[in-house]
Amino acid sequence: MNASIDTTPEKKKTSHGLFIIQAWLVLLLAAFFGAALAGIQLSLAPKIEANKLNETLDKVPELILGAEAARTFKDSGREMNIDRQYMTTGTKTYSVFKAAADNELLGWVIKAGGQGYADKIELLVGVDKNIAGITGLFILDQKETPGLGNKIMTPEWRRQFINKPTQKPLTVVKTKADAPDQINAITGATISSRAVCDIINQSLNNLRQPLENAATATQQTSDNPQETK
Amino acid sequence: MADQPTAFERFTQGVLPENPVYRQLLGLCPTLAVTNSMQGALTMAGAVLFVLLCANVIISLIRDLLKPHLRIVIFTLTIATFVTIVDRFLAAYMYQMSKNLGPYIPLIIVNCIIICRCEVCASKQSPFTAAADAVGQSLGFTLALASIAAVREILGTGMFFGIRVLPEMWPDWVIMVLPPGAFLTFGLLLGAVNWVAARKKTEG
Amino acid sequence: MNDTPNTTEIPQDDTKRAPAIQVGHSPHLSDASFTTRRMMIDVLIALVPVVGMAVYVFQFYAVFQLAVCLTTCLAAEALFTKMRQRPLSLFDFSAAVTGVILGLSLPATAPWYVGVIASVVAIGIGKVIFGGVGMNLFNPAMVGRAFVMIAFAGAMAASGYESLQTGIDAITQATPLNAFKQMGISTPLKDLFLGLTNGSLGETSALACLIGGAYLCIRRTASWEIPAGVIAAVLVMGGLADIFGSSDNWTVIHHLFSGSLLFGAFFIATDPVSSPLTPKGKFIFGAGIGFFIMVLRFFSGYPEGVMFAVLLMNAVTPLINRWTIPRVMGE
Repeated sequence: MNASIDTTPEKKKTSHGLFIIQAWLVLLLAAFFGAALAGIQLSLAPKIEANKLNETLDKVPELILGAEAARTFKDSGREMNIDRQYMTTGTKTYSVFKAAADNELLGWVIKAGGQGYADKIELLVGVDKNIAGITGLFILDQKETPGLGNKIMTPEWRRQFINKPTQKPLTVVKTKADAPDQINAITGATISSRAVCDIINQSLNNLRQPLENAATATQQTSDNPQETK
Repeated sequence: MADQPTAFERFTQGVLPENPVYRQLLGLCPTLAVTNSMQGALTMAGAVLFVLLCANVIISLIRDLLKPHLRIVIFTLTIATFVTIVDRFLAAYMYQMSKNLGPYIPLIIVNCIIICRCEVCASKQSPFTAAADAVGQSLGFTLALASIAAVREILGTGMFFGIRVLPEMWPDWVIMVLPPGAFLTFGLLLGAVNWVAARKKTEG
Repeated sequence: MNDTPNTTEIPQDDTKRAPAIQVGHSPHLSDASFTTRRMMIDVLIALVPVVGMAVYVFQFYAVFQLAVCLTTCLAAEALFTKMRQRPLSLFDFSAAVTGVILGLSLPATAPWYVGVIASVVAIGIGKVIFGGVGMNLFNPAMVGRAFVMIAFAGAMAASGYESLQTGIDAITQATPLNAFKQMGISTPLKDLFLGLTNGSLGETSALACLIGGAYLCIRRTASWEIPAGVIAAVLVMGGLADIFGSSDNWTVIHHLFSGSLLFGAFFIATDPVSSPLTPKGKFIFGAGIGFFIMVLRFFSGYPEGVMFAVLLMNAVTPLINRWTIPRVMGE
């Protein structure tokens, strides 16, 4: 009995030490794997970051020039300079992409978001250099009802936004849209359709002044005489 | 260890008789979550193949050094490392797919198929057998994912690998590409597999 | 695989009929085939005014939709029972009832495949997979309808009800609930009560549902506690909304007579298989359905919520049974 009591603390002591010794493999592997992962992260991180940015940047030429013109533009070998800016109006901050080629301002792409029917809708809307008309629309992220609201992603529906004037807010109509400020609702998804229009209206309304200011600033610095009014 | 299956047996068992999804009911989270398109399903299957193969071989190489009470830690450590590698690679070279699969690639870490194979095979058998086992099990997993994804993508979108296979007038069964479709398809296919297995048993 | 134990069980049950009280799955009947059949025929009789009204309002569209659902349900029942090597159960009319109720819950202009797929899902996944009549957890017709509702959102959502090409007055209007939800337009109570409005085939006429429902309750084929629970919950919640809510012109009575509320309360919720066993349980079940209908109508994106409410309460039926079935003393 006495002997067993005596040995207990001793045993505990040795087993504590043993845990560390036994875990040598875990520690070694952890160090090794950690180093390997660090290496991979170092080599891949720039590419992943570039992917994230390109996701939006890739869309800019198409949104400003239209799909067809964007392709010919690219084939002609001209370079489009896309400049990302942040514009704050009131409480909201927008990411705005300024597109220019050969010192000539081509247009703007605004990244905007707002509440849809199911969840937030994030979209890109392109406007021409005078902020007079919409040149394109792309839905980045949405979780609308599949089969109804998610049709806002379809090119057929998005196409009707092209060349819409920005002076008057866009309105959604259920029947045939004939006025220039009208957008056809998706059948059965009036709320989603209206949400997209509201996001566009609101962001254009908020950004009209800052964009015009920025545009005149660009024109002053550029040497292109066609730009000045 | 004389009664351990050979490498060839490990390989064939994994594909059908011990199919990880239909027979062992393991790895159901990705099975249900990513099978609404063939591309997604096959990417997931490829990721699992890579992780399982690497983890199995590494565990098998160090199997004599494993302490019983520390083995799970080492399994998890190894699996997590390779999962992170896959995740970064997808984000770098298949960005859109990595976005579509979302959290399900990192979740391979907790995929029971891999830890099960480490425990059952890799920690007991040679690297060659472990590799054969990994390929067999992954092939079984791929077959299962592909079968579910084929049903869901064709019925749900009328397409296969993103290419239209059903006539334009086909009304898409949107429910099939949504979560309920995953449960229904998996349940019905599992029932069919069990039915075939039961028939084989009574015949043989 | 399950076939072998079950087929041997059935004759055992017959010989063991002696013990006095058995608490098991409903329906609790001494002679299953006869009484199920009697009940189902009763339901079909009760549906006559509803079907009549549907045919009067929607004309050919109602006949077509009902025919599609009825024939597909019967064919699916025959096919699936044969696959399970069970005796043909067509003549207990349960599949016929499912078919008619399913048909009545669809929009008039739904394309043919909607009815076909809904019927196959209703019988196959809603009923036969669980073990056939008496074993299903959920109301088969609602399982089928939920499937097509999500699968073919375009044909089944509020917009699916409206069409300008049919030449039938009712179909050109928005459904009353949708007109209210989208545009705040209230429909006169008289139209809602008589049923000259747009909607699912069977739901438009409150009057026809009340006549059929009264027949079912008097015959005791349906337990009156369930519709009573539904209506009570709707009255309470709708009444509270009237008192505290905005002063719009959609009152609790509009709620009661619109949509498939009465049709659901009398014909769908009262399915004896997927509802609780005790009177108290039935009332709780009904009240739960009424509660969820109102919650869905007030807060969800859908204008109507009867189908989801019934399915939700079906899911908690075993729980209600546990709470309300009296325990044997000492247990």
